Amino acid sequence: MASQGKPITSPISDVYYPSLAVIMIGIGLIVTASFFIYEATSSKKTRSLAKELIAGTVASVFLGFGSLFLLLASGVYV
Amino acid sequence: MALRSTHLFIFFFFITISLFFTSAFSNLILSKVERRIDLTSQIVRTISTLKVENEGPDMVSEVLLCFPDYQAQKLAFFLVSPNDGKGKSKSSTTSLPVQGVKPEGMPPSLTFYSVSLPKGLSKGESIILDVFAVFTHSLQPFPEQITQADIQLVLFQDSAYYLSPYEVKFQSLSVRLPSPRVESYTKLQNTKLVDSEIKYGPYENLPAFSYEVVVVHYENNRPFAVAQELVREIEISHWGNVQITEHYNLVHGGAHNKGGFSRLDYQARPHVRGVSSFRHLLAKLPPRAHSVYYRDEIGNISTSHLRGDSRKTELELEPRYPMFGGWKTSFTIGYGLPLQEYLFESEGKRFINISFGSPMQELVIDNLIVKIVLPEGSSDVSVSVPFSVKQLEEVKYSHLDIAGRPVVVLERKNAVPEHNMHFQVYYKFSGLSLLREPLMLISGFLFLFITCIIYMHADMSISKSSASYLAKLQWDEVQATLQQVQNIINRCLGVHDKLETSLRDLSRTGDIQACKAARKAADSYLKELAKDLKPFLTFLQSCPQAAQIWPKVEELVAKVKEIEEKLMMKHIMVVDSYEKKSGGREIENKVAALQQKLTTLRHEVDDILEVIDEI
Repeated sequence: MASQGKPITSPISDVYYPSLAVIMIGIGLIVTASFFIYEATSSKKTRSLAKELIAGTVASVFLGFGSLFLLLASGVYV
Repeated sequence: MALRSTHLFIFFFFITISLFFTSAFSNLILSKVERRIDLTSQIVRTISTLKVENEGPDMVSEVLLCFPDYQAQKLAFFLVSPNDGKGKSKSSTTSLPVQGVKPEGMPPSLTFYSVSLPKGLSKGESIILDVFAVFTHSLQPFPEQITQADIQLVLFQDSAYYLSPYEVKFQSLSVRLPSPRVESYTKLQNTKLVDSEIKYGPYENLPAFSYEVVVVHYENNRPFAVAQELVREIEISHWGNVQITEHYNLVHGGAHNKGGFSRLDYQARPHVRGVSSFRHLLAKLPPRAHSVYYRDEIGNISTSHLRGDSRKTELELEPRYPMFGGWKTSFTIGYGLPLQEYLFESEGKRFINISFGSPMQELVIDNLIVKIVLPEGSSDVSVSVPFSVKQLEEVKYSHLDIAGRPVVVLERKNAVPEHNMHFQVYYKFSGLSLLREPLMLISGFLFLFITCIIYMHADMSISKSSASYLAKLQWDEVQATLQQVQNIINRCLGVHDKLETSLRDLSRTGDIQACKAARKAADSYLKELAKDLKPFLTFLQSCPQAAQIWPKVEELVAKVKEIEEKLMMKHIMVVDSYEKKSGGREIENKVAALQQKLTTLRHEVDDILEVIDEI
């Protein structure tokens, strides 16, 4: 029975989960930091919404995938 | 004529009816029956080899097997396979379809099963069948209560003759016991006890439904581990794991312990003072099982050992206390398995192929519940199990779920290790559904950022006309203007730097025209910047909030202007000297004073910029 089907593997080998988690959360935190620095240093007049949104989106994509890989690496298979 | 034909018809009708009834029962005989009953553990396994012969004229394609009702209730596993006489290996046997039937005119309190033969038996032909039946809870402890030091004695009851709706020509029975210590056993003719085996028979030419009770009372100290309920949860994650969690509700199903438990006696001589108890259980987990844990409600149980190689993983677990008769315990074990060994894809559907029963050795499970938790977003679920189970569906909410995960619940009463067969659950799943979890995490973080953005953009003050609020607004504006001024000044300084580099280029290449062009460009750019700066400066001058900073800004602008003038002078002088072909030394002397002035001015400007920055 088992020989009939093609085995299914995870999209990314689970060996890479810890390093992916570290790298992506690292990048995410750096972008988050730049986002908050921008928020704190720019005044109401000089702030641009597009810049804030781009920084926020990029940071949340990296943090989102990073925390997913962190969960997977620590054994919480979602 | 017509009347006669009707009579004939009725006559034939009765003939066929009677043939139909008798063909199933009387035309077949069992020419040889060999029965082996294995009583070495708490599970009773019987293997009967039947040689079925057809003596009637008609083709027979079904054979009836029967058990007394009291046995049929305890029947856990039943397998009938044809035996071609030579190959006794289990892999070559294929099971024949078996169906519970209720034929008419049969004695009550018997349960019948009908076996479909692979091909019909015509007159004189015979077939050999292996009937494998497993019974649980068939060993009755007697005495029912024993002390810690007593051995456990059990009673087993069966018939010495093979119970069958057919005549049996020749038969024998052998009962295997765990040890030669037998309290008593029913003695019939041709009964002998050899080592740890009791032999009955051979008996010849017994009519259908012959029954002769035999009772064996013997010692059995094997672990009577019974799981009253076992819930196995198999959770599939397409990120690379099959997680299995098993909740055991275990009881020692043997003779009850009386007179209390002495830990001292037990510790001193566990094999004598506690012979009926069991201390540990062995679970044979699949190879490459990882993250194995063993715990109960109050936490981790540290008394376990895990060994493994490439073919198997063995988990030896010890409950918190030795298990005596009637004692209960409950615990949970869990382990992860690599996805690619259990999950497959064929014809657009994915399926998991995994073992049904418990990995524990010789465990009787009264109520086995297997839950297969499929990933969120699976659809078209279907199950294929090689034996009968009750099937339900559920939804489970786990990590990062919105709609919940579909769960297939399979229930089986009375399960034994023989049920450890592979079963399949088929379902449809799109690879895109894998992105649900990361998208949820991303949207969570995005929500945080957007709240920050909204907070920073929103005006939270209650009274929009109060003095302090207005002052704050103005101060914000002053700050913004200051920033702009700083920007422009910095750009001016950048232009100054560019002029200096153009001079350096001149000394290197001697290209006077390029240097002049650079000066012209810088001049116009500076003019533009000065124009841009003007409105900001007027605002700062007029604003009362900026009164404190204004002198600084004014000074700054003045200094920058001075630098600009001096720099221009220097530039013109140097270029002129080059045109007149003066020597390098000469030029340096000429501009030395200017250069010094410029450096001090630059320092002052930097200082002022720093001061403004701090505001």
